[in-house]
Amino acid sequence: MKRFCKVVSVGLVSCALSLSALTSSADRSVKVLGWGAQSGPLKSFGVNSETALRSAVAEINAAGGVKLGDGSMAPIEVIGYEDSACKKDQNIAILRKTASTTDAIVGMGATCSGSCQAMFGVLQKKVGDSSDSGLQMPILADTCIRPGLAKISEWAFRNVPNEIAMYDALFAWLSQQHPDIKTFSGGTETDQGHSFITHTAVIVQAAIKHGFEWVGPAVPELGPKVKQGMKELQAAAKTQHWLMGDTNYTVQARKIKKQNPDMILVSSHPFSACGFLKEMKRQRVKPKLLVGLTSSASQETLNGCMKEAEGIIIPTGFAPITAEAQKANDIVGKAGGFLDLHSAAAWENAYLVKAAVEAAGITASSDSVDADRAKFRDALASITASDGLIGPVSRDTATGEASKPYVYVQVVDGQWKVIHDPRG
Amino acid sequence: MDDFWYEFVEVTQTITDGLLFGSTYALIGIGFTLIFGAMGKLNMAYAGAALAGAYAGLAAFVLVKAPLVVVFGVSAVAAALLGYAIYFTCFRFIPTHNHLAALMASVGGLFFIDEVVVHVTRGSPLTFPSMFDDIYFEIGPFGIRGDLVFVFIIGLLSTGVLLYILFKTRLGLATRAVAQQDIAARLCGIGVHTTNSVTFAIAGVLGGIAGAMTAAAVGVLSPVMTVPLTVKGIIVAVLGGLGSIPGAIIAGLFIGGFENVFLYFRGIDERDMYVVALLFLFLVFRPNGLFGSTITRD
Repeated sequence: MKRFCKVVSVGLVSCALSLSALTSSADRSVKVLGWGAQSGPLKSFGVNSETALRSAVAEINAAGGVKLGDGSMAPIEVIGYEDSACKKDQNIAILRKTASTTDAIVGMGATCSGSCQAMFGVLQKKVGDSSDSGLQMPILADTCIRPGLAKISEWAFRNVPNEIAMYDALFAWLSQQHPDIKTFSGGTETDQGHSFITHTAVIVQAAIKHGFEWVGPAVPELGPKVKQGMKELQAAAKTQHWLMGDTNYTVQARKIKKQNPDMILVSSHPFSACGFLKEMKRQRVKPKLLVGLTSSASQETLNGCMKEAEGIIIPTGFAPITAEAQKANDIVGKAGGFLDLHSAAAWENAYLVKAAVEAAGITASSDSVDADRAKFRDALASITASDGLIGPVSRDTATGEASKPYVYVQVVDGQWKVIHDPRG
Repeated sequence: MDDFWYEFVEVTQTITDGLLFGSTYALIGIGFTLIFGAMGKLNMAYAGAALAGAYAGLAAFVLVKAPLVVVFGVSAVAAALLGYAIYFTCFRFIPTHNHLAALMASVGGLFFIDEVVVHVTRGSPLTFPSMFDDIYFEIGPFGIRGDLVFVFIIGLLSTGVLLYILFKTRLGLATRAVAQQDIAARLCGIGVHTTNSVTFAIAGVLGGIAGAMTAAAVGVLSPVMTVPLTVKGIIVAVLGGLGSIPGAIIAGLFIGGFENVFLYFRGIDERDMYVVALLFLFLVFRPNGLFGSTITRD
């Protein structure tokens, strides 16, 4: 009888312990928190990134989730997606709140380049530097595309294409495909950091490098190197630039029309790009070629100015040209969003998180958040290759940047079509 | 000589384009000034309601392929209804003497409308149908957009109808009476709240037309237009003289031409700086604006 009672007691205790263990692993999840522009002129980018991230996370969880350090499976949980509104102070505030009050092991998103730059600046510069009181929170960005930002901090990572390489290759290809095109001019929106700096530091210089002649306002300092003559170009061409929310482009379109360039660069986001393209059409400005900004290779451009954008060529890090890309495109479409080079990166980031969590052996328990963040950071930094939606992505472990495949798309009959695939 | 002629043509063209586009600013400014004239308060949600009305018109175009006349009509009606809703929620129950509370309530109304629009459209710019978009009059070296001429004419017609209502109808008489002295108007049997709500609705009609015209002139409708139009509308209303409709018309045209000229000569970085500097000069040296009533200082 005593022996029987002992056996029953041991059995009951074992059951209780097992149940609590089951409950514990069922309660655990790998928490991530996202933020991006959910208001303001670039809201559509933040909304799409959130949709893509949540859709990818749902796919990962439906397939079983991620393997934790103890061998159990746990879901990824997006504990929130905050509105950073492309404001630097708001981004920093969200980052600080996330780092100090949540269990998120990584922050994801942050739409605008200027915001990312400010945000990365409050992170600890070098891992393990006890003299640096910066935040120790990994950030994995999907949209802020301005070159060179991730090297600001070893806690900062990006999954964005390299615009310098993309435009360099694009103009090299265009110079071969269109030997009749000799001259170019163009404009940009000056109140959006990505467009303004990419246009005046990267795109114009890449075109010059490959033999196209700038026929805008004279800028003797302009040359083929990145940033060459950037400040002078910004000052000289200010009468043919605009603001993101402008409604009148008559002056700018007429100035460029007078220059009579063969090729026109429209380096701005969809709203102002469409406004300018429509004004060009009204003033009968018909260049031989139009080249746009990477961020405008999106559904918004078709929504805003399908006819006027006909023929515009843009390099992009996403097009539904592989089975994975098409599947992801369909899933995000059903969720009410659409994939472009930015939101596709958000999708890929979810899988990057999965890979880093599994490589790091994270336990996802609430008393190990700081340790998990450090392990996650180290694991993410050591990933040298990952699967992107349109091809393999290599990662630079020194800078935290990605080298992503890209294609050239053009608006043909009201749809984005891939006109050249340099992926080889 | 060739350079002089070239500059002359360019500047004249710039001013002409600006004046034509300024008619949209004039319509927005009229709405601000009409409400200020009636109640002595600024309705910060006005431009937001105007653009929301334009979205309603766009919905009619997209969903049922409504003709453009119907699109503009739907925009006007929707903005009028929104105008009434804003009056009811932001002005009706706030004490008359509390200007700040009404102002802040209308700011909240502006943000609310903007957020609803952004949520419904996901922030994406949408093509707005234009009338006479393909028409471009070329007179020698000058070119005039047919759609802007249309916007200008509609702006003038709308203003004419508004002035007729204000000065030739009993409703207009009641509106002017309430604006002059609401207590005396009440004693005369004029329903102050009814009159004010109708004023907001009429201003909303103008706003809806202005919103639709602006979107048609640009060719694109987007939530990013809300804040610039609000700022321009207030500047126009102040420069023209708060409460003065003719002042708002002239100020709107003037601002349109003025900002275009400064864009042409000084570039985009300084364009808005000069517009705001102009506002500052008026506030300091002529606070009653071009045609407003005299404001005395303490």
